[in-house]
Amino acid sequence: MNQFLINLDKWWITIKISWVKHTAYRLNFLLQILGPAIVFLFVKYNLWSAIYKGQPDLVIKGFNFQDMIQYHFWAFVVGLVAQGHGAWNLAEDIRMGRISSYLIYPFNFWEFHTASWISFQMIQIFITTVTLLIFKSMGIIQLPGSSLFIFGTVYTLFISCFWFSIQYLTGLISFWLEETWILRVSLNIVATFLSGAIIPLDLYPEALVKILNYTPFPYLSYYPIQIFMGKISSPMELSLGIAIIGIWTLALTYINHLIWKRGIKLYTAAGM
Amino acid sequence: MLLRKYWEVYKKFVSTSVAVETSFRTSFILLIIMDIFFFFSTITSIRFIYDHVATIGPWNKDQLLFFITFMLMIDNLHMMIFSQSFWEFSAHLKTGSLDYIILRPMNTIFSVFFRHFRASSLIITPLFIGHLIYYGISLKLDYLAWVMIPLFVILSLALLVILEFILSTSMFWLTDGLGINFLRMQFQQLARWPNFIYQSLTRKVLSFVIPILLIGSGPVHFLIDHTHYKLLLYMGVAVVAGLFILANLWKIGLRRYDSASS
Repeated sequence: MNQFLINLDKWWITIKISWVKHTAYRLNFLLQILGPAIVFLFVKYNLWSAIYKGQPDLVIKGFNFQDMIQYHFWAFVVGLVAQGHGAWNLAEDIRMGRISSYLIYPFNFWEFHTASWISFQMIQIFITTVTLLIFKSMGIIQLPGSSLFIFGTVYTLFISCFWFSIQYLTGLISFWLEETWILRVSLNIVATFLSGAIIPLDLYPEALVKILNYTPFPYLSYYPIQIFMGKISSPMELSLGIAIIGIWTLALTYINHLIWKRGIKLYTAAGM
Repeated sequence: MLLRKYWEVYKKFVSTSVAVETSFRTSFILLIIMDIFFFFSTITSIRFIYDHVATIGPWNKDQLLFFITFMLMIDNLHMMIFSQSFWEFSAHLKTGSLDYIILRPMNTIFSVFFRHFRASSLIITPLFIGHLIYYGISLKLDYLAWVMIPLFVILSLALLVILEFILSTSMFWLTDGLGINFLRMQFQQLARWPNFIYQSLTRKVLSFVIPILLIGSGPVHFLIDHTHYKLLLYMGVAVVAGLFILANLWKIGLRRYDSASS
């Protein structure tokens, strides 16, 4: 019990330190994390406004203008919570030989970065809550029933675990690869395109959607947005998403464990 | 004589950048794949939208795809010649290594922003040129348009980088310029769409105050319909005014620089 409390204390202190680090350069945080998401939303809002302009009755694959705008505002909210963390320091820690410290500290590499991610998520959840309140008060989005809203929120947090695991994986690849940011950005481009974050998957060709349903991509954006918009509500459909993302996250965590074990054998502690 | 000197220096910059980039072969190949996927995902998204609507604003599918390809061509050249240098510049300011660049006997803007060349972008340039020609043929562009395209690509790239150079001077006043680089990328994101998708006030601000919408909309509107030349004139003014602002801001910024390492 005592050991558990000491360990908990380490997590809490690391989370607090990371919080301070994340918020030290507020302008940078704003431009780096919020800026891209806001501009992406702004462009999509303008684009769809131009498409529906002068055609108030236009319905595209079941989406009228209000539905389409709601879709993109929910995509913004989901993106903020699930995809905000970039795990930028992870690869640098390995490449620059900084993980030597973690090999000695009583708080390992995974624990440190996970604690850092948790603190980042706390900031993101705070920002998202404020954003949601603003959107709601402006009448831009309609909140679903409380049970669906809670489920959607929990599900989005699940997706953020998935994203963290995959970002962690790309970071660990720096044991072998000089520049892992390319992998991270590539993954982001692929996921943004195939998950329905740019346009709803309903607008994609049916054959492509059928193939995509066998991948985790639709479950990263399209699926949680549908939950928040109240279009997915049956227990069967809801549990399917959780199961798929859960399995992928567990698999990735296990793969990360294996890669760390192999990678650490190659580690040369550059600069020591 | 002076141009020749700069050309010789630039050739060295290119050769050292190519040597560094190609020594990490996996990263080099991944960069190419990433850029190709970005290109096709952008084009395909537009195609998917046009499967359900006939026009966006006044433009049909071929017109918008021509515009997007034109902008992606500018992006490609930007990535090839300038992109890396912006990221390095914020690092130079933070660590104080800008000292060594300032000491070189040549223009500091040239030394800072032309230093890094990305060969992987050069390899996929034919992809962009090919698509630009393909959509140009679909639009049945006339001879004048074909002659003007290379000039407009250079002019658009010039306006983009001048605006980015100006924005980057703000790094002299910041402890960490990383955020400015992200802001720069957001301006690129806004410029990647034609001016008519934006509402009136936004369009005016982004055309005449921070003229990023002129980068693509100026030339492409003219290429499609030669009576639309006004934006092109504004673009010329923006380039000249931008150069003047940059020269002055850069001087002030350099005076502000206090060298973190000394």
